[in-house]
Amino acid sequence: MTLERKSERGIKTILIICGFSAAIFVFFIILFLIINGVPAFTEIGFGDFFFGTAWHPTWTPPSWGAAPIIVGTLLVTLGAMVIAVPVGLAAAIFISQLAPSRIKRYLKTAIELLAGIPSIVFGFFGLLVLTQWLRISFNLLSGTCWLAGSIILAIMSLPTIISVAEDAITAVPITYKEASLAIGATKWQTIRRIIVPAARSGIITAIILGIGRAIGETMAVMMVTGNQAILPQPITNIFSSIRPITATLALELGEVSWGSPHYHALFALAIVLFVIVLIINSVATILIRKRVRVYKEKPKDGKGSSEILLKAKNFIKFTIYIIIVSAFLFLNFAPFLSTSDPLSLSLILILIIGIAIGIYALFKFILKVSLFYSVLMLILFWILWTWFGTLNTLLIGCFCVGIYLLFKFVLSAKFIQRIAFTFLTLSIFVVVFMLGVVIAYIVFNGAPALSWQFLTQSPSDLGRAGGVFPAIIGTILLAGGALLVGGLLGIFAGVYLAEYSHEGKINKIIRAGMDNLNGTPSIVFGLFGFAFFVIYLKFGVCLLAGQLTLGIMILPTVTRTTEEAIKAIPNSFREGSLALGATKWQTTYKVVLPAAAPGIITGLILGLGRATGETAPILFVATVFSQRFITLSPFDPVMALPTHLYTLISGVPNSTVNAYGTALVLLLLVLIFYGIAMVLRSRYQRFKKW
Amino acid sequence: MGANPNGEIVLETKDLNVFYAKSHALIDINVETKKNNVTALIGPSGCGKSTLIRSFNRMNDVIDGCKITGTVLYKGRDLYHEYNIEEIRTKIGMIFQKPNPFPMTIYDNISYGPSVHGINDTKKLDEIVERSLKLAVLWDEVKDRLKDNSLELSGGQQQRLCIARALAIEPEILLMDEPTASLDPIASAKVEALILQLRKRYTVVIVTHNMQQAARISDYTGFLYMGRLIEFAETTELFESPKEDLTEKYLTGRFG
Repeated sequence: MTLERKSERGIKTILIICGFSAAIFVFFIILFLIINGVPAFTEIGFGDFFFGTAWHPTWTPPSWGAAPIIVGTLLVTLGAMVIAVPVGLAAAIFISQLAPSRIKRYLKTAIELLAGIPSIVFGFFGLLVLTQWLRISFNLLSGTCWLAGSIILAIMSLPTIISVAEDAITAVPITYKEASLAIGATKWQTIRRIIVPAARSGIITAIILGIGRAIGETMAVMMVTGNQAILPQPITNIFSSIRPITATLALELGEVSWGSPHYHALFALAIVLFVIVLIINSVATILIRKRVRVYKEKPKDGKGSSEILLKAKNFIKFTIYIIIVSAFLFLNFAPFLSTSDPLSLSLILILIIGIAIGIYALFKFILKVSLFYSVLMLILFWILWTWFGTLNTLLIGCFCVGIYLLFKFVLSAKFIQRIAFTFLTLSIFVVVFMLGVVIAYIVFNGAPALSWQFLTQSPSDLGRAGGVFPAIIGTILLAGGALLVGGLLGIFAGVYLAEYSHEGKINKIIRAGMDNLNGTPSIVFGLFGFAFFVIYLKFGVCLLAGQLTLGIMILPTVTRTTEEAIKAIPNSFREGSLALGATKWQTTYKVVLPAAAPGIITGLILGLGRATGETAPILFVATVFSQRFITLSPFDPVMALPTHLYTLISGVPNSTVNAYGTALVLLLLVLIFYGIAMVLRSRYQRFKKW
Repeated sequence: MGANPNGEIVLETKDLNVFYAKSHALIDINVETKKNNVTALIGPSGCGKSTLIRSFNRMNDVIDGCKITGTVLYKGRDLYHEYNIEEIRTKIGMIFQKPNPFPMTIYDNISYGPSVHGINDTKKLDEIVERSLKLAVLWDEVKDRLKDNSLELSGGQQQRLCIARALAIEPEILLMDEPTASLDPIASAKVEALILQLRKRYTVVIVTHNMQQAARISDYTGFLYMGRLIEFAETTELFESPKEDLTEKYLTGRFG
């Protein structure tokens, strides 16, 4: 074997190891969650943990009922989706189908910027603006509530939903659109009845990824939901304070002693979160794979589904709906049930079921809508009833039926199109407005605090005075180190996936690892970093632990962009090089990588931006509140902009001016990174000649 | 075959010019088609025949950066200004080069057109589906599987389904953009036979790559070259004694 062949094999081995790194990290994350979390189930008890409704870890005796927290996570995510899905879909349709191609570019840029704003900045904005607005306009005691959390999460998951849905809608073959237009359908009829249904699986993927984004979000949601671990009363009370899993972890992990039942309970919560996210990501992955096939292959022969199968399917569907409805009823009436006497209780239950069946029959048979929609409407009207009472709900119902009839029988297709397009345009305005408001608010309020001293001095008086210099340095060190770790691994993994891997089991494992690492909530990275680097490897809270944790977090981003950039290089380049007798690695290194460099660098900068803005992963792993002297030792803790901002907002009264300043510096830093990445990418696309 | 020279003129262009972002696709086209005739447009690839047929039902509007000058008249009225776009496309149906059924059931493919035009009654829709499929000579092949996905049909069946879909909204004119180009010879023959049948009830404009096909099925033929209409005449006349030198060269296979 020649030297060349040997080094080829050596390089391939290194690439494989890097490719596997994501899967290995996922394995370790799961391992450490299980090691630290499973003891909780024996200490607390399975049932008490999942069904207990009181979370009082510091009381004597303590109780660890996680039901309100798990339900809180689900509720706040559900609320976010109710807002984000319609707006996001409408915006995606607008960008894909209505926007002129010049405006399209700017809109896509705006949405990427929205995705780049750090979650702590959203939280800061939410706390100071959104919750105040809610408090005043709804006359509440406190504006921190479920609704505030859902609104913030909706804004944060919009970019994911919009960009994935937009891709799916744009991917629908233009022939479908032409065929429909040629029949004389209006543009809106074509969109609603042909294009959107054809893009359905992609749209569902978008929604699921949006859910994944919302459910794992920590800092923003923690700052605006009020964080009381209670079930809302009634369950539809959107002004109730709630507390999601992520917020619980971020709030309490800093205060527990290692190895205590409380510590284990927090990791158990993290397991629950991780499992939810795992399920969501798996479903999304399956759907994405399916979508790739949908326009290429003929669907399977439909004859396989016999009558019995169909009936079974309907039965299962029906059962699921019943479960949903009864869960809803139970959650609302749980406290009420335990106090009333059994007789009136059963009467009420029978009454409710009777009314439910009646309304269901009304929807199903008179209005001829499907089971799904009748159950949906049933729940909807029930929610309205808890908010507005009987009379108003009936009025709203009549109003809705009227609108429905108007659309169905009176208005012309052209007029409906005009209404629909107005709504689509409106939703894109809402999205751009959100971006503008958040950025403008931080810039206007932060600008006065910004000065040379602010940028170059250490903080004093608990951060009320002085500057943020150590935090800037700390953030740069953290993000730079993360880039070194995640970037190097990610580029090698991307090269492996694009150039060396073949479809097969190994490839599947690597991709599953990447997908799951990509979907892992940032707070789980924080927990892992704490349990593994800080405690297990005895690093202590330090710079290095933070760099490694952030590096693992940005690994999937870098890998994906690298792989995409390399795959975009035409095969003729490789063939040209290979035909001259170059080895595979020589070809990759000398021909493919230079050609793909702008794309790879874009990915690296995006990763850098993400590492800069993240708070949750470094909160317990790398940062301290105050640092007198800047040390460059990797085993010392550092200050960082996001965590500094968090401490100022949550722990230091009267520090608002400096908090604004810190938020502005952080925002500018992240936006500069994103800006560079975007400029680089657009130049690269323009000068690309192949 | 028998052209119908006394038929009313239904489609007519006057100095029609079509520009794409970077090219001038049609130059000063003056052409007319008469009712209940089959008019064929022939010419080499890129000569503008598809562009011309697409300007008859405003499908060029879908393409970014497309600009049109001159007039197209439908029954004597300006097709681009005196009708609304959906109305035109309802009256003037179109069949595309590649069969493009929607990814839904056979039944839904056909009922889609009537339902977007406001017909929601199930019985009526059933009737329309049956009638359209019969007109497209597809009914016997698919009557037992109307609820199957249309993508399970063969290419030729898909194309006839697309014809049935166009017929379901009772158009007056059918535009066909190389409807047999992507089909095998047997499927092509079936579609051709269908076109000859449809001629009795509809006015057909067909773009074809295949000169023999034009000769077999059309009453009038127009020859386009480099964006210009070189010659337009009754099919027999054009094929037997072309007036223009270019036409003769093309027909005898000396270029194209």
